[in-house]
Amino acid sequence: MAKNLKNLFPGLAYVPGDTFVHRLHPLPKLLLLIVYSVSVIIFSQVVPAVALFFILLVFYGRSGLGPVFFLRKLRVILMFGLLMMLVQVISVRQGTLLWEYAVFGGVTLRVWSAGAAAGLVMMLRFINIIASSYLFVSTTDPNKLAYALMQVGLPYRYGFMLITSLRFIPVFTQELTIIRNAQMAKGIDLEGVTPGKALRAVKYLLTPLVICALNKVDYLAVSMESRAFGLFPGRSYLFEQSVDKKEWLFLAACTVLLLAGGLFLTRCY
Amino acid sequence: MGLPVVRVSGVSFKYKGKKESALSDIDLRVDKGEFISITGGSGCGKSTLALCLAGFIPHHVEGEMGGSVIINGMDSRQFPPQKLAGIIGLVQQDPEAQLCTLKVLDEVAFGPENLCLSREEIKDRVEWALGAVSSLHLKDREVYTLSGGEKQRVAIASVLAMKPSLIILDEPTANLDPCGTAEVLRVIKKMETDTAVIIIEHRLKQLIPISDRLLVMDKGRIISDGKPGPVYKEYCRRQKHYFGAGLKSGSSDEPGLLVPEERRCKAGPVLSVSGLTVNCGGKKILEDLSFDIHSGRITAVMGGNGSGKTTLLLSLLGIHKPERGRIVYRNRDITRDKVSRRARDMGMVFQNPNHQIFENTVLREAALPSLMLYGDEVKAARIDALLSEFDLLQYRDGIPFSLSLGEKKRLTLVSVLGYQPEILLLDEPLIGQDYRRADIFWHAVLRHSSTGGATVIVCHDPDFVRSFCDSILFLDNGKLLFDRPVEEGFKLLAELGFKDYLPDSDFTGD
Repeated sequence: MAKNLKNLFPGLAYVPGDTFVHRLHPLPKLLLLIVYSVSVIIFSQVVPAVALFFILLVFYGRSGLGPVFFLRKLRVILMFGLLMMLVQVISVRQGTLLWEYAVFGGVTLRVWSAGAAAGLVMMLRFINIIASSYLFVSTTDPNKLAYALMQVGLPYRYGFMLITSLRFIPVFTQELTIIRNAQMAKGIDLEGVTPGKALRAVKYLLTPLVICALNKVDYLAVSMESRAFGLFPGRSYLFEQSVDKKEWLFLAACTVLLLAGGLFLTRCY
Repeated sequence: MGLPVVRVSGVSFKYKGKKESALSDIDLRVDKGEFISITGGSGCGKSTLALCLAGFIPHHVEGEMGGSVIINGMDSRQFPPQKLAGIIGLVQQDPEAQLCTLKVLDEVAFGPENLCLSREEIKDRVEWALGAVSSLHLKDREVYTLSGGEKQRVAIASVLAMKPSLIILDEPTANLDPCGTAEVLRVIKKMETDTAVIIIEHRLKQLIPISDRLLVMDKGRIISDGKPGPVYKEYCRRQKHYFGAGLKSGSSDEPGLLVPEERRCKAGPVLSVSGLTVNCGGKKILEDLSFDIHSGRITAVMGGNGSGKTTLLLSLLGIHKPERGRIVYRNRDITRDKVSRRARDMGMVFQNPNHQIFENTVLREAALPSLMLYGDEVKAARIDALLSEFDLLQYRDGIPFSLSLGEKKRLTLVSVLGYQPEILLLDEPLIGQDYRRADIFWHAVLRHSSTGGATVIVCHDPDFVRSFCDSILFLDNGKLLFDRPVEEGFKLLAELGFKDYLPDSDFTGD
């Protein structure tokens, strides 16, 4: 399960760096992501969608995540986008006929202008939404994001839910390896496809993992509460995650440009 | 002297669903700035007492509590642990599970932040607390990059930052190697605070000089309480009694020991390792190890955290594939053999029993490897005999996870002994076990070797190594420093300056 998810979104994790995109404070960055996504949804013509795609590429460029990252990590998304386009191209039959090709036995492939446009827009919107979120995750330190969100009003219990789960990912990965080793030492072979075997394999993996997790959670709860977690409805913070005035200005400028530019392009074409 | 920090009067506690009380008739008074050490066997109620003092009993743990715990004038029944947090701090065993943030600074600031203190105050406290455990240099590190000892230091700092009147350390070194243990104990000794300290520990030697009082617990009661010197002497005398009588004499008196003695001389090495080099994730973990394992012998593997001890055991079993080198078992090269094939001859017990218990009844768990490795019908009689020997027969059809930690550890050993592998690979099986509980364990290991079996054991306790093992393999950063008989090995360690790995007596001097 986890492995499948990983294949679908390879390397969906923070990539530390020191570029303009990395340094932008998490809050304006998150808001910018929202504004961008809204623009993607509102402006559904071909030209604005292409423009938005180029803006995204510019941000990818500025963040130091080059085309290799884009093509490699978003491989599945790109392929899925292409597939969506193909379906549209084949199924929509309006506008002018652009291209025709006789396959065999009287079956002819026809590409219509409206189909091509609809396909292109659908693919671009899909890619824009996913790739922009990907960029956000890749360039934002989740720890900073959580602390920033808590300081602007996210209840701190939720913030620490995120932080502790990030904290425990490496811990559980390690536990999982140990459990696999212990299974091998006892001759439990998980290579097998019969349903009975698979079921047992899951049981043999989950039982110790859940027990270990519960154990850790007990420790963690004691450790957090003995340090007054949950005593007051609010808490103070050692580091103020303040947003620079320039960053707010940047966000405002981007918002105006995106919306105005989108409107302009929609009107013109 | 004024008000005591904590006054415990007539406290008893019984966990829900258990027949016996975990604590009974506990009376204890802790004054400001006192340093108290508490010791006692596994399951004697030490940790339960710690949970009582910090207010987690009666608020979080289900069970019946009697008596009262008054903390700075507040009855723990009326105040949940969060309210007591600024007064009592608790550091637990597991260095991994008690840190909840990603960065050291955030971790130490976590408590003061929860108290809604001002930024300046938090900053001061963080600096002071990290300084108090000599860890200011760790300030900008990420938590997951710290070693076990460093994690424990950060955990102590994060509790100190609350400026509690009493800090309770519940076996803070139980999961650490000798170097980590020495590091943490040094820090605790040097801690310059007016905080009262209660430390629960098995390893007392370093604590005696700095303690004001030593308490010994047994079966939920405090059985002695007084000046550390005399109490310690008395405690050692009784431990020795168990230690000596239970183990060495018992096993060497058994008839039939002479037979394997002969076998020992005749047979060559059971396992012969040459030039073993193992890489993990591009990093060299083991480099060019060569040694022999002989039947009837117990070989101790020692070395610091990250020196490759666990990797060595996993490589013998074939879980890690070697880059170079050969492993020969009874004149047969098994370097390329599958794990399941090798596991028939090598039974491995891992450190934490929770990682290696898979079944839903004790009996099925005990029989699992026999079933998996040989596809045999379970030899019920043999398993039953083992269960009864390890005092587990009464749980035969119960759920393994409801057993205590010590019982689980014994169960993992039973499940391996059940199919009689020739070589036992044991990875720190004794962590957190006191001398008395260890005795059943060593009995089994000694009997295994007396019947000609070989044992390779990763063990941190030099006293155990000296009492039971025949030779030491000492690893240092993935290289084999030496492979020598025990006494010779300890002499070498003393010469090389590995002071933390020496047995208590003779070598350390003081």
